Amino acid sequence: MLSAMKRVFYSVFLFTGFLFLAQSCTEEQDFDQIDDLSITPTLASGLFYFESDEATINSAGGLTTFYSQEVNFDAFNEQYVAERLIEGVITYEIDNTTSKELRIFIDFLDEAGQPLDREVFTIEAGPSDTVVREVVYGPDGKPIDILANTSSLRVTANNLGDGSSVSSAEDPKIIFRSGAQFVFRLK
Amino acid sequence: MRIANKLTYLVLFCGSTLFAQNKELLYDFYEIPQSLMVNPGVKTSQKWHAGIPVISGLSVQGASSGVTVNDLFANDGIDFTTKVQERLLDVMGNKDDFSTTSQIEGITVGFRGKNRPDDYYSFGIYGETDIITYWPKDLAILAFEGNGGDNLGRSFDLGDLNLRGEMINVFHFGINRKVSEALTLGARAKLYSSVFQFQSINNSGSFVTRQGQNNVYESTINADMQLQTSGVKGFYDIIEEDTGTTQKDVTSLFTERVLFGGNLGFGLDFGFSYNLSPQTTVTGSILDLGFINNSKDVWNYTFSGSTTTDGISIILPEDIDNVNNDLWQELIDEIDEALPRDENESSYISWRPVKVYGSIRYDFGQGGGSVLDNCGCAVNGGSGMASNRDYYRNSLGGQLFMMKRPRGVQAALTGFYQRRFGRVVSLKGTYTVDKYSFTNIGLGANVQLGPVNFYVLANNLLSYFNIADSHYASLQFGFNIISWNGN
Repeated sequence: MLSAMKRVFYSVFLFTGFLFLAQSCTEEQDFDQIDDLSITPTLASGLFYFESDEATINSAGGLTTFYSQEVNFDAFNEQYVAERLIEGVITYEIDNTTSKELRIFIDFLDEAGQPLDREVFTIEAGPSDTVVREVVYGPDGKPIDILANTSSLRVTANNLGDGSSVSSAEDPKIIFRSGAQFVFRLK
Repeated sequence: MRIANKLTYLVLFCGSTLFAQNKELLYDFYEIPQSLMVNPGVKTSQKWHAGIPVISGLSVQGASSGVTVNDLFANDGIDFTTKVQERLLDVMGNKDDFSTTSQIEGITVGFRGKNRPDDYYSFGIYGETDIITYWPKDLAILAFEGNGGDNLGRSFDLGDLNLRGEMINVFHFGINRKVSEALTLGARAKLYSSVFQFQSINNSGSFVTRQGQNNVYESTINADMQLQTSGVKGFYDIIEEDTGTTQKDVTSLFTERVLFGGNLGFGLDFGFSYNLSPQTTVTGSILDLGFINNSKDVWNYTFSGSTTTDGISIILPEDIDNVNNDLWQELIDEIDEALPRDENESSYISWRPVKVYGSIRYDFGQGGGSVLDNCGCAVNGGSGMASNRDYYRNSLGGQLFMMKRPRGVQAALTGFYQRRFGRVVSLKGTYTVDKYSFTNIGLGANVQLGPVNFYVLANNLLSYFNIADSHYASLQFGFNIISWNGN
């Protein structure tokens, strides 16, 4: 019985030895490579939409500010986002079908309400072509810190025309669109 | 207590690291008593057998149908991010998986009925861990590439998140009956004692960002997702509390769970062997036809709803008098409200992964000496088909394996050749084709020295030349004591 057991164990070791020592091998692996992994997704999102009909502009009068408001905007300054923001583009598109020349200011404000940056858009009286502007942030554009520190936006819309004319276009409006595509470093 | 602790951790360790799925080498390898576990209707000849506790049945196997370790981590000088992009993200689909099924036998015993020698009874305990994670292709691409750039307009499928896993202890009792000279039937009843279970298998929904109707971009998400867990929170709470008795508490909870203290279930196995002719045998089995009722320590997480957002909006004249400047927070709140994330403790049923085997075997090369001719139990002493295998040294055949997985049936086709060398040694070689490999060559050996039985079964031998480049590798072995007479 004991002898049989010994033979079994010898058989075991011979067989497994054959399998794993003689055959089993592997090419050199470098698991530290995972430290080199770079994950930099591009995230896209609509940001801010502003719309006004011509009647509202007229009701404020000519050559005046018909809208001004500061809105909280923490899209970029959340700590997780701000720390990982690398670069990106904000796209603005403006359509004006009113009869007035208009000017829109977008002020980027920090938590203390201090201005960090300003975008100014002067739009010809309608009907006019869509105004498109792409503002680059990061190494090839404005400092990324502007966005990382932005806590709110101040939107100011000025009427540079009169306060009575009405466009012949159907449902005349000023429409201000914005969206962003930004690259983040997740790892 | 120390020994109990060690045994507990051994079982935990083995349960989490020893993998076995398709057991094509073990199937119908009737010289090995554990073949009863993959076909309760396999022909048996021994009078009794007993597995050596804990080492009567160990198996090691890992599987990946997509990327291999070598694909990513070979020291080949290629940028790692490039390898992830080209070998993982660009190649793997949502039907590729990383899966493991492990079994470790605690006790296995079989004996022939005294009054009914045609019946062979077997019972035992084994632990099993079964985990499968499908590659969440769209979610991985979303994380790696984002929803911008070239992915604008792409609909990301949230249903790509699909995973399932469990650890159970199984108490089983089976009867194997020789019904006639040609037919042997078998059945096994199983009581499942669940340690933990989790599944997230019926998710659906999508996330897409496209040019907006109003704003430059708009994002739409529809989600109906759920993660169900049972037995997980208990362990999580112990580890989270970190009271200094964590190890003891985990051991205690684990022991309780494996001994019917957790969620329970019931299952059945069935199998048969039938001689079409003295030299041709067909077999089949269906395993783990059962379920577990998860009602204790349940914690489920749901995420469902739908919404479209294009950022914050000011529309005049409606908002002319709105001086609320917290529009960003309102937007976040609206999204949260539209996509509620809830927790609940609703019980649920989890189905065991059903497995089906089938085979046809042709025996040839009459050898004279019988391998199992001394049962002393009147089972195989007769002539004719019942003992046909004892007179042939060679077997050639094919096997089919199918397993129910969350995304459908996973199948494998095997061709095999078996050679017996007297009573002592039997070898079986297999070639298996499945989703993991087209070059899976396996070799199994059964050694019988007196009453001592040892077997070792190794799959995908070609992968051993570079194990890191393998999609599939396994090793099974075990020790038994077998008696064919009154000893």
